[in-house]
Amino acid sequence: MMVEQVTHVQTKLYFRYAGAAMLMGLMLMGCRRVTDLGPVANAAAAAKAREALLGDSTGGEGGATVVTGTGWATLKGKFVFDGNPPTMPPYNVNKDMAACTINGKAPLQQTLLVDSATKGIANVAIFVRKASRVHESAQPKGEQVLFDQKECVFLTHVFPFVLGNTMDIKNSDPVGHNTNIEGKNSFNQTIPVGETIAFKPQKEEAVPVSVRCSIHPWMLAYFLPRENGYVAVTTEEGSFEIANLPAGEDLEFQVWHESAAGPGSSLVLATPEAKELKWSKKGRFNVKLGEDEVKELNLTVPSAAFGL
Amino acid sequence: MNRCLRSICWLGCLALLVAGCDFQTPQFHLNMVQMLSDATPTPEPYQEQIADVLGGMFGTPDEPFVLPETGLDMRRLKMAAGPAWTDDKGAAFGLYRLHCSHCHGIDGDGQGPTALFLNPYPRDYRQGVYKFKSTYNPAKPTDEDLHRVLVNGIPGSAMPSFSLLASAEIEALVEYVKYLSMRGQMETALTNYVYNDLGEEEVTDENGDPVLDEEGEPKMKLIPLDPENDEEQRAAITEILAEIVEGWNEVNEQIIVPEEGAIPTDIHDKEAFAASAAKGRELFYGARANCMKCHGPTGLGDGQQDDYDIWNKAHLQFLDSVADDSGDPQFAREREEVAASLFPVRNAIPRNLRLGVFRGGNRRIDLFWRIYAGIAGTPMPGSGPASPGAQGTLTEEEMWNIVDYVLSLPYEAASQPQKALPINTELVN
Repeated sequence: MMVEQVTHVQTKLYFRYAGAAMLMGLMLMGCRRVTDLGPVANAAAAAKAREALLGDSTGGEGGATVVTGTGWATLKGKFVFDGNPPTMPPYNVNKDMAACTINGKAPLQQTLLVDSATKGIANVAIFVRKASRVHESAQPKGEQVLFDQKECVFLTHVFPFVLGNTMDIKNSDPVGHNTNIEGKNSFNQTIPVGETIAFKPQKEEAVPVSVRCSIHPWMLAYFLPRENGYVAVTTEEGSFEIANLPAGEDLEFQVWHESAAGPGSSLVLATPEAKELKWSKKGRFNVKLGEDEVKELNLTVPSAAFGL
Repeated sequence: MNRCLRSICWLGCLALLVAGCDFQTPQFHLNMVQMLSDATPTPEPYQEQIADVLGGMFGTPDEPFVLPETGLDMRRLKMAAGPAWTDDKGAAFGLYRLHCSHCHGIDGDGQGPTALFLNPYPRDYRQGVYKFKSTYNPAKPTDEDLHRVLVNGIPGSAMPSFSLLASAEIEALVEYVKYLSMRGQMETALTNYVYNDLGEEEVTDENGDPVLDEEGEPKMKLIPLDPENDEEQRAAITEILAEIVEGWNEVNEQIIVPEEGAIPTDIHDKEAFAASAAKGRELFYGARANCMKCHGPTGLGDGQQDDYDIWNKAHLQFLDSVADDSGDPQFAREREEVAASLFPVRNAIPRNLRLGVFRGGNRRIDLFWRIYAGIAGTPMPGSGPASPGAQGTLTEEEMWNIVDYVLSLPYEAASQPQKALPINTELVN
């Protein structure tokens, strides 16, 4: 009887040890995270980088002098879809039906709009990444530009903007909205029925950022603030024009479309005409324009560029 | 007894075996979601170079470092960094490791060992975005704002009060949180810089002509991130850092100070308070302030629930892009590994205002700041001007009316009580 009891106690003890061991193991494993992926700093390389950054913090202009030309030129063109354009499904409107639908029908999504007659692609953003000179016409004029919403859709789907101007955010709906602009300018304010709120963004973005309404989450637009007016968004027929570009120097353009398959939605083309422009995997191409030149680009965009 | 000893030995061995890899010096890790994101895919050599430059600029978890331009106080950082210990005079060191890292993580990525079990998840400091602050929506928090969160905790969340810590310790932690934020912002900015401004260039021969590969295509090479040997890069990095630091330095011009005249009531004047709350109620349910749309017709937080905060949104976007990966299989594998390491994405649920628990504090001024500026990083919009001198949606008096209504809401009978939807379920989508 006595012996049995002792064994029983010992068995219980073993269970306890086993339990403790398992717990401890789990606790220790908890310290190691699966997110500890990727490289960490190399001490020697880090020390060198530190020395360099501590050494001369005067900045400076960088060694090479930039070649600047004279005069101005224009780039215009058209993005044409090659393939069967997709049909746009309606937005998932699930509230404020009276205000957000037309005769009970939800508006169609705008993720890839191709004009049926011309096959032109709308809402392609195209802009100069860096310009050494900016023509007067492309400088901000302190204007007020309208960004409106109606039937729970932002009326400008891709909204180019020149810093220095003011954005008038309007709500033409009978229901309240909030306009939530992501990115460096980070704006999120309620826009009451029928009212307009002025907003002055301060910072440039490298690619368009999203604009949403949290109350009606299907609402989506893109906002592209740039420091100068060398920015265009293609029309319904897929055409664009950027005038008064600096001539006689290399200009690098960025091309973006919300549904493009390239990194960060950049539009990547590999057609012969694109190759001539040294179109990169980041959706960029290079052009050097002569003084007073009007260059026309007609770009064919295969459906593969949209991952279709 | 013998058996007992033997068990302890076994236990020890087991613990050592399991622990083996875990007692290394903690390291800062890269934000792999950004490195492998669809927007800034970063090849491995660049990842290494970014880690090195960040290491140079910010040091390691045990030995933090900051360039003088940051304005951060090294003495405070050293108090907060490293392993936890106490010197012979009783001064505590390694405060972050002791008090914060188990939730907020060594990197400040909000993914410490206990983070998965918390709702909401601990804050990821790396975007430098903070919710509970006295400044305009896009502005950084003030030191006082961070101090307040540490001392009061965040009611209704797992963030406890650290009011028992000495004030010097709190200040050290505030400094360290700013340090982790600046480091994280720098990492993001460097990744963008590398992607946007460096990348590939053509290999050229001594005449400057492109070298071609077997297929007749120009050979390409990566332009290294190498501030040591590239003056232009050094200037660019200095400029990026200056911009980040400026955001933290300009907070004093970004504080929302309510106009004296607009504060409509003395909270102790019951009649005036009730009148203000009644006006606030009208606004709450009206189309101008529109609070009801998200917080629900009963204030239970059961209105709009389909949106996300920016921290979850970044993960959601990453997971979406991983789901339709069709490119390089190696890249896809790495992305899958990172995707598997992420916590489940949660949507942003509007606060249940009937609980009387307000995360940013329950003083009237705390609620006023929330209504005025919204809650940065979340779907909660502001009703005041977006920046100093800008145009607001509501007047300050109207915002105070809403404050009073929100404060009285927990005591108001719900005339048509509705059941709040369970948090984070499929139902809300």
